[in-house]
Amino acid sequence: MEPIYITGAGVVSAIGVGKAETLTSLIEGSSGIRAMKYLQSRHCDLPVGEVQLSNEEMMEMLRMPYDPFLTRTALIGRLALCEALEQSGLSGEALSAVPFISATTVGGMDRRELCYAQEKDCDCNHAHALIATHNCADSTKMIAGYFGQFAFLSTVSTACSSATNAIITGANMLRCGMADTVIVGGAESLTMFHLNGFNSLMILDHQQCRPFDRDRAGLNLGEGAAYLVMETEASLNKRDATPIGRLSGYGNACDAFHQTASSPEGTGAVLAMQEALAVAGLKPSDIQYVNAHGTGTPNNDESESYALKTVFADSLPPVSSTKSFTGHTTSASGSIEAVFCLLAIQHQFIPANLNWHTPMDNGIIPYTTASAGLASGNPITHVLSNAFGFGGNDSSIILSGN
Amino acid sequence: MTQKRIFIQAAEQISIQQPLSQQWMDEPLSYDNRLVKAVNPAFRDYLPANEARRMGGLLKRALVTTMKVLNDTAIDHPDAIITGTSIGSLDCTEKFLDAMVENEEEMLSPTWFMQSTHNTVGSTLGIYTKTHGYNTTYSHGAMSFDLAVLDAWMQMQLGKISTALVGGHDEMVESYFTLLKKAGYVGQPGMVPCGEVAMSMMLNTQPTSDALCELSEIAINQGDKYYSLSKTPTYKLQTSNLKLQISNITDISAVMTGINGNPANDLSYQTLVANLFPDRPRLHYKHLFGENYTSSALGLYAAAHCLKQNHLPSFLYDSDSPCLVQELNSILLVNQMENQQFSFILLKKL
Repeated sequence: MEPIYITGAGVVSAIGVGKAETLTSLIEGSSGIRAMKYLQSRHCDLPVGEVQLSNEEMMEMLRMPYDPFLTRTALIGRLALCEALEQSGLSGEALSAVPFISATTVGGMDRRELCYAQEKDCDCNHAHALIATHNCADSTKMIAGYFGQFAFLSTVSTACSSATNAIITGANMLRCGMADTVIVGGAESLTMFHLNGFNSLMILDHQQCRPFDRDRAGLNLGEGAAYLVMETEASLNKRDATPIGRLSGYGNACDAFHQTASSPEGTGAVLAMQEALAVAGLKPSDIQYVNAHGTGTPNNDESESYALKTVFADSLPPVSSTKSFTGHTTSASGSIEAVFCLLAIQHQFIPANLNWHTPMDNGIIPYTTASAGLASGNPITHVLSNAFGFGGNDSSIILSGN
Repeated sequence: MTQKRIFIQAAEQISIQQPLSQQWMDEPLSYDNRLVKAVNPAFRDYLPANEARRMGGLLKRALVTTMKVLNDTAIDHPDAIITGTSIGSLDCTEKFLDAMVENEEEMLSPTWFMQSTHNTVGSTLGIYTKTHGYNTTYSHGAMSFDLAVLDAWMQMQLGKISTALVGGHDEMVESYFTLLKKAGYVGQPGMVPCGEVAMSMMLNTQPTSDALCELSEIAINQGDKYYSLSKTPTYKLQTSNLKLQISNITDISAVMTGINGNPANDLSYQTLVANLFPDRPRLHYKHLFGENYTSSALGLYAAAHCLKQNHLPSFLYDSDSPCLVQELNSILLVNQMENQQFSFILLKKL
């Protein structure tokens, strides 16, 4: 396919605000999964990957007046988008030609659940505010509103693959000639709704998650946001912008198996990875690193291992799940991990899969040595990143060096 | 890129009109209530009882409209399933929230949570029909359905897919309706009822004898920018903040808008139509199908069937329409979201 260049990236998660802090944590192998600090939940014994800032602190960083109706999702999203726009050099009037495609699932549920008990008695202004925090579109609008007018807004919501699918929608827009530049990604904050939902499914680990380990016991929920500025070659040349990498392939498929479980063979995952490789015109052996979905649930890691072995056979490159750093940031994970992949290419390192000790039956052996620079002389040029959502909404993207 | 032609091969609805039929064209149902639930078909005729029991109303309606479309078109596995839903399985979300607050975060059943994510509809359609192709969901308020159509359109133009099941699905519950009413979105005096939406359609790049009409143009814009695929405008409409490419304004037989009797919603439609299409016949549909986020899906459904039957029931005319349609060749659908984001879809008769 025609090249799609990435000229800006911003990321906020439990391991840092911005790419610099994120890179340090990834190279040092220091996880951001900690005891609960900001979320007000009874289940405070569950470790989570929280952004280490209060809402008030984020508003200060954004130099904006205190606004109790702004959701945590919107604040985290604004911080990430600030960094992406700054790197790309886009601002003000230029944004009016740029579609903004953002992903979320629970959106502003953090606000709504706090006020839920009082909803029946609320007045019209509060009703407005409550609706505006429930709706996914309003989450996107709240993030965008800080920056000015975009060409149009769109919200993708496919659970844990949402941000990856926002990247895919943006890529199709560029290829169709509907825009020269798009901003894509996702934002999600921790909520009681999500925490209790995953808890009711009994897939939350009470320790730090252990992706691909025999004794893994589930995921940790996380929060964060990441956005990418993607543009066509013509736009890149016109703006004289400097690319930090390329989106070279993408695939989306449906596992069509179960609402909350992946098929044992990882059918959807296999199809998504194969399509991404085909679109990129690459062979499995051309990929130097796979950033796995790797949630740490017994089901995902088994199914994904099977799928990886099916797609890569004898040429499986190093694989790691960075959810051992951030927790599972659900709708934002696809774009957060895309930024990790760009950092891996730019700085030539492979993030470690933390907390791994014992191989699982028929599982892949993840890459566990956190270190800057690679021992082998094999440069990292192409990286594949997976994101799989509830209901089998499976997507894969390939990021490449320039 | 040469623009590929796209056809609507079939479109089915379950709404506040008679389900799975075009009976509304002859005998439309009308309501005095401000919140009207969908008129459900006998689900047992379409779904095994054990399946139906596990699913909420939204899922059942989405599934049944889909099954009918797949059956009518004899396409078992479309290349893509693309869904627009603003609030997803709202009923399950509210139930889970209720239980979470009441039980103070203890003893929660996962069932409501599992069905509460917005992509439950789209992925259930994939699971039920064993369709492994592209599957995604847009949840962007009143633009959710239009963005789903845009996605299918893009991928068809790129040659990535040739068939797509595209749907718009939203439900409504009393508690959320009350909130929306307080905020002034629905239930206002003089307004159409708040309804429920299930609409599934098959888009196909192949013309088939049963096709309802052609999906000729789609453009979605925000403020003063527009996006359209047709690169060869021979006629450009322009006002201070809206542009649209249509080959010739007289090619538009009628303009169908989402006016609903609420001035906060209607004013921008009225201004837009008066500026851009002052002498074109005006149609509306929400007085029949009600207001909900993805109601625009029902407008498109109604317009497609009118074009197929070459018939416009008189009650579709807006009371301030400057004239009647002389010859029905096309309908331009206009949808807007909070007076900020606009969508235009042009359907043409075959």
